[in-house]
Amino acid sequence: MNDFFLQTFWFVPFYGLIGAALTLPWSSGTIRRTGPRPGAYINLLMTFLAFVHGTVAFWQSWGQPTHQLVFHWFQAADLDLSLTVELSPVSLGAMELVTGICLLAQIYGLGYLEKDWALARFYGLMGFFEAALSGIAISDSLFLSYALLEMMTLSTYLLVGFWYAQPLVVKAAKDAFLTKRVGDLILLMGIVALSSYGAGLDFSELETWVETAPISTWTATWIGLALIAGPTGKCAQFPLNLWLDEAMEGPNPAGIIRNSVVVSMGAYVLIKLEPIFTLSPIASTVLIAIGSVTAVGASLMAIAQIDIKRALSHSTSAYLGLVFVAVGLGHVDIAFLLLFAHAIGKALMFMSIGSIILTTSNQNITEMGGLWSRMPATTTAFVVGGASLVAFLPMGIFWTMQRWMSGSWEISGGLLALLMLVNALTALNFTRVFRLVFLGDPHPKTRRTPEVAWPMAVPMVALTVVAVLVPAVPIRWSLWLSPIAPLENADLPLIRVAMPLLVLSGVVGCTIGAKLQLRRFWARPSDRTQRFFQDLLAYDFYIERVYELTVVWLVVTSSKLTSWFDRYVVDGAVNFVGLATLFSGQALKYNVSGQSQFYVLTILAGAGVLVLVAMGWLFGLQW
Amino acid sequence: MLSADKIQPSKHPLAEYVHRLESGEALLKDSPENVLEVVGILKSYGIVLDAYSRNLIYISKNQFLVFFPFFKYFNGDVNFQKLFRHWWHDRINFEYAEYCMKAMFWHGGGGLDSYVDTPEFKQLAEAAIQAKFKNNIFILGLHKLFPEFLPEQVRMMSYYSALGQFWRVMSDMFMSLSDRYDRGEIKTIPQVVQHILDGLVADASKPITYAVKIKGKTYDILPKSAGLTFLMDTAVPYVEAVFFRGTPFPGTISYNAQAYQIPLYQSDFTYGALYADPLPIGGAGIPPTQLMQDMRHFIPEYLHAVFRKSKRNEDDLRVQICQTFQKSMFCVTTAAIKGLAPYPLETTDLEQQQANRQYLETWMNRLITSRVENVNG
Amino acid sequence: MLSALIWIPFIAAVLIGFGPRSLDSRQYRSISTIVSSILLVLTIAIAVQFDPSQPGMQFTEFVPWVDWLGLNYQLGLDGLSLPLLFLNSLLTVIAIASSSPTLDRPRFYYALILLLNVGVTGAFLAQDLLLFFLFYELEIIPLYFLIAIWGGQRRGYAATKFLIYTAVSGILILIAFLGVVWVAGTESFDYEQLRSAAIPLKTQLPLLIVLLIGFGIKVPFFPFHTWLPDAHVEASTPVSMLLAGVLLKLGTYGLLRFGIGLFLEAWAYLAPWLAIWAAVSALYGASCAIAQQDMKKVVAYSSIAHMAFVLLAAAATTRLSLLAAVCQMVSHGLISALLFFLVGIVYKKAKTRDVNQLRGLLNPERGLPWIGSLMILGAMASAGIPGMVGFIAEFLIFRSSFPLFPIPTLLCMVGTGLTAVYFLLMINKVFFGRLSDAVTDLPPVRWGDRIPAIVLSLFIIVLGIVPNWMSRWSEPQIASLVTDYGRPHVSVNERVSMTRD
Repeated sequence: MNDFFLQTFWFVPFYGLIGAALTLPWSSGTIRRTGPRPGAYINLLMTFLAFVHGTVAFWQSWGQPTHQLVFHWFQAADLDLSLTVELSPVSLGAMELVTGICLLAQIYGLGYLEKDWALARFYGLMGFFEAALSGIAISDSLFLSYALLEMMTLSTYLLVGFWYAQPLVVKAAKDAFLTKRVGDLILLMGIVALSSYGAGLDFSELETWVETAPISTWTATWIGLALIAGPTGKCAQFPLNLWLDEAMEGPNPAGIIRNSVVVSMGAYVLIKLEPIFTLSPIASTVLIAIGSVTAVGASLMAIAQIDIKRALSHSTSAYLGLVFVAVGLGHVDIAFLLLFAHAIGKALMFMSIGSIILTTSNQNITEMGGLWSRMPATTTAFVVGGASLVAFLPMGIFWTMQRWMSGSWEISGGLLALLMLVNALTALNFTRVFRLVFLGDPHPKTRRTPEVAWPMAVPMVALTVVAVLVPAVPIRWSLWLSPIAPLENADLPLIRVAMPLLVLSGVVGCTIGAKLQLRRFWARPSDRTQRFFQDLLAYDFYIERVYELTVVWLVVTSSKLTSWFDRYVVDGAVNFVGLATLFSGQALKYNVSGQSQFYVLTILAGAGVLVLVAMGWLFGLQW
Repeated sequence: MLSADKIQPSKHPLAEYVHRLESGEALLKDSPENVLEVVGILKSYGIVLDAYSRNLIYISKNQFLVFFPFFKYFNGDVNFQKLFRHWWHDRINFEYAEYCMKAMFWHGGGGLDSYVDTPEFKQLAEAAIQAKFKNNIFILGLHKLFPEFLPEQVRMMSYYSALGQFWRVMSDMFMSLSDRYDRGEIKTIPQVVQHILDGLVADASKPITYAVKIKGKTYDILPKSAGLTFLMDTAVPYVEAVFFRGTPFPGTISYNAQAYQIPLYQSDFTYGALYADPLPIGGAGIPPTQLMQDMRHFIPEYLHAVFRKSKRNEDDLRVQICQTFQKSMFCVTTAAIKGLAPYPLETTDLEQQQANRQYLETWMNRLITSRVENVNG
Repeated sequence: MLSALIWIPFIAAVLIGFGPRSLDSRQYRSISTIVSSILLVLTIAIAVQFDPSQPGMQFTEFVPWVDWLGLNYQLGLDGLSLPLLFLNSLLTVIAIASSSPTLDRPRFYYALILLLNVGVTGAFLAQDLLLFFLFYELEIIPLYFLIAIWGGQRRGYAATKFLIYTAVSGILILIAFLGVVWVAGTESFDYEQLRSAAIPLKTQLPLLIVLLIGFGIKVPFFPFHTWLPDAHVEASTPVSMLLAGVLLKLGTYGLLRFGIGLFLEAWAYLAPWLAIWAAVSALYGASCAIAQQDMKKVVAYSSIAHMAFVLLAAAATTRLSLLAAVCQMVSHGLISALLFFLVGIVYKKAKTRDVNQLRGLLNPERGLPWIGSLMILGAMASAGIPGMVGFIAEFLIFRSSFPLFPIPTLLCMVGTGLTAVYFLLMINKVFFGRLSDAVTDLPPVRWGDRIPAIVLSLFIIVLGIVPNWMSRWSEPQIASLVTDYGRPHVSVNERVSMTRD
């Protein structure tokens, strides 16, 4: 009885699912005379139960050996698709993070969406989302993780499309789904291939399979690349990064989850797949390349954004880029810590900007200013969130970096340079946004800004406290996945200067951000070169245009061509040549309004004659 | 024949409505159906406003600077039955009242808006804050660190109270309109407008005041000496903020800064009740759904019968309510236009007519993109 | 037992066809619903008694018929036909129940639908080639009239086109059947007897090609598919549901039963080409679907794309792949029936299916929010989102055919990806956004318009979550079939070693 919660930890994802199902009477509009809030309360309750259940299980899991629960889901021929979940402090910890942030986001949503009559549908989707997320956290099966990733794709589509009547939402939801789906599908190709090469689809089985893998490096590379594609879409990495920007059209409570735990889940699966990337140096290199390009590119894009959500969401891509780099280098513990610290810091920042958006009915940071003294919780959340994401003050990311640079991992100059660049750019961006939004004189749209009510303030304050406590994690448990430190080379010169240099980069970023000339009220730079770069970054390097001119164009054109070919060539030719000549003239011009019995007879007779003729032919031959 | 003493027809795109107003008619076409719909909907609106108004005033008086106002919608009457109904969401959506209050607060305008920025207000607010949080070192420390946090909350409380007082008057006015209609005294739309106009004029200089009781002592927040009055300091800013400007609905407008869908200046906002599209009502991200939902419970039978006759029966009740509600709002707007006109609109004096014409055309400029053509269509 | 499934609807069809005029359309619908429900219950009863662990045919019936022809009334049921039989019974109930209560000439209509059921059931049960052919032909006639009488504006054209194509299909199948009997030199058209006959590869090949084209028209595969979009567009909703849900399966059933069953060697010889054919057909169907403006055409082309997956699985001819083929047939039957039903409701309410005219139908007050939500579900199921039946079926297909035909499999997976593209484009246009001014005055949706869709959705979800309930009927049986004539389960490694040998 004592470890009842531990034994039933696999049930945690079902709370969200049950909650989602129970909202149906309201979300489907069956209950119309009263409002949709019970749907929200039910989901809050279920998420709370999930959180409590997970917490108890998490504490009980300490000191317990890692073990798997296998559920044989589908067996046919010699294919055995089992859904395996893993009981370990890491998996339960990840689940805990998911349910915790979901719980906070759902309380937050009660305030943020208090005027929205589709509240029940929103909470139903959140419950579904939560179920998929917490499922991935404990999944030990690539197959199960894939299935859940697809469910996340679906719920992202539905959540981004929550305000379905808003034109940009329509496009955003579609793009989010299709972009993620591209990644998912390539991932599925990888899974199908892996499974066909005899690999079991459990992560733990994969690890042992890799040691004796019967495949060539060439195949391993292809499979590795295919497996990378899924997380690339999920984590909004180049070139599948645009959906996250567009997904900001969705409601903010979902944005909190999306920018913290949802993107993380893609990387979480990537971390679990890391053994496979060891088979192919090319796959590892590609991971590092994707991660670096995204980290730098997205950090640059963030700096040019004027939309408060987008200024932060691009930075999400950048941090996930760093996770990709860490996985590519094989530094899985660091990747894990990065995800953890980022999820908390980014969730906090999104809570903060949500309260700004709600109070000012505005997302344009050039129209804001002077919020700090009116909104203490919001301001504190932004500052703490920002500080814990930059290696500058001794908070979340600082300690993660410190672990990375502790000498246990092999660090190259290039990596350090990349981290410094991203750190400086992020610091610059956050400082810039902070100045625009919180400092200076109030602007017309920020003149009347009372602090938000408790449903939004409480989660914000609670997460602020958590963010302050987060550094304990990298300090105490820096090696979640590796039992022992891989390396001991703390006295390399590079290691010794690494942390000071990183902090320096943060200082430089903040200073530039503080000195930067701010543009207000839709103003655009007058200098042509400056404007070019501003636009280039603001419009995400025009990647969307590139998509339109390549992939989208290709699909649209080829489908039009095929359709034309179908209508005029295939249909025309087959119709005309094949058949029209056979049954030419009036023979088959039926007038259906006439006596139908006649036609039944005709056709029956026709068929009968056909059979008899054939029979005669047959027997003629036999005789 | 040159008639120098007759005003030329207006060349405004909405000239039809200018002429209508000049001849004593309303923005909404006069017809028995329209009268029935407008009076019926205003009756249910009156009932809802009554509830809103009581609650706003209750919150401003009893939930003053309460950080966890869990029972703010209970008007002080907390019991299990009510709690259960609250959880079941079988209640008035007071969130909508707060939404209107916040819109009014955010858009500003009028004497109240400038008064809450005066040092005098600051002093009064400070006194109330100190009284409320006496001995609470944490909150007072926070107050020191973020000096505008609590005063801003007090300002918001003032708006709670002011909007509550405004709606009190409006609610009574709509209820008496309904009573007069039931007695057969109201037959035409111009009569409806006249009733509203009379109500506005009668209470025009009613003072707007606000005081809270903290630990047995009364603290003035909006004293009588501030000289705030019903018409100019609540009615006019309310019409401006809620009828005209409003806030963009996330369900139809993108907040994306780079999409530039929301204007830079708040004065360019056209998301108010006179502009809103009724069709998306009931969907996601459309706050007025809450008002329509509240009104559906109080629709008089004669109006309900009209709604039931629609093709979708009661499936689209809230959209129908919104369409009717929009009609009634144009009547209220007509009353406001009439009340604020420089001269009586029926004047025969040419100069006065010309001044009125200019005044009306300024209004019509704002109404070009409104739903005025749709409600008459 | 099996004969009851054929003769009950037949007798009911005759009775209804000559039933009293005094009963109105709604009453005939009730009667037919009862009859088809009885059939469904009967099917379930048969399924309960069916022993999946036993290989070979069960419930066999044999009545000598036309001796000099070698034609016998010979029925049997195995793991391949049982799921399809169930699908047929289920969809017939739903199709009848969702027919318009006010249609013209109800006696003829319901008699035809029941006759259609007779034809399809008979074809799934026939163990005699000629008997199969007779049922196969029988099913064409009612369908022709169902399209030609209760169809849309160009129903004459579509029905005639359908008739010509399927007639050719029938002739080709008959030719192949006669050929095989002639070559094998057997006394009768008995399936089991013919299977054991040894036919040289060179003789098998032309017969199989004829059979492939014959059934390929029915399924249909590119380039024999052009009758299908026309037929769907003109057919009424219940007929479209049956056409996509069940009738197309006759083609793939025929390929599995006769193509593989009789010409295994030739089949294996042609398999790589069949896989390529499947990929071309899948991509072609998907590509066409993207460009369509008529919702029904989108779903119709999607049918072409998804049925091609069955060919891919059939080409692989392993235990797993044949099971996958059966799963895909069931899955496609449910999903396409759901989609056609929903499109039908949209058309019934909005009077148009043009994606450029419809908009914002998710509107909860004046749109079709239920229909829209279920449409999203159906589209997602079709696109292979896990948790619904489409996923497991497609996963099994890809997983089983990848070791043998990696490139065609990957191309088919691209086709799955395109499914999401065309359905999302359609859903975004039709259901998202502000309600179009052209279609704001939709009549209300009644529960009768929703329940069939909800039932189908439940099947799609439940079988997606517990796919064993779908595969348990066929798996052991197909396993035994394959030991007879198929490849065992193959992984890439084994294949590598196979080629080395």
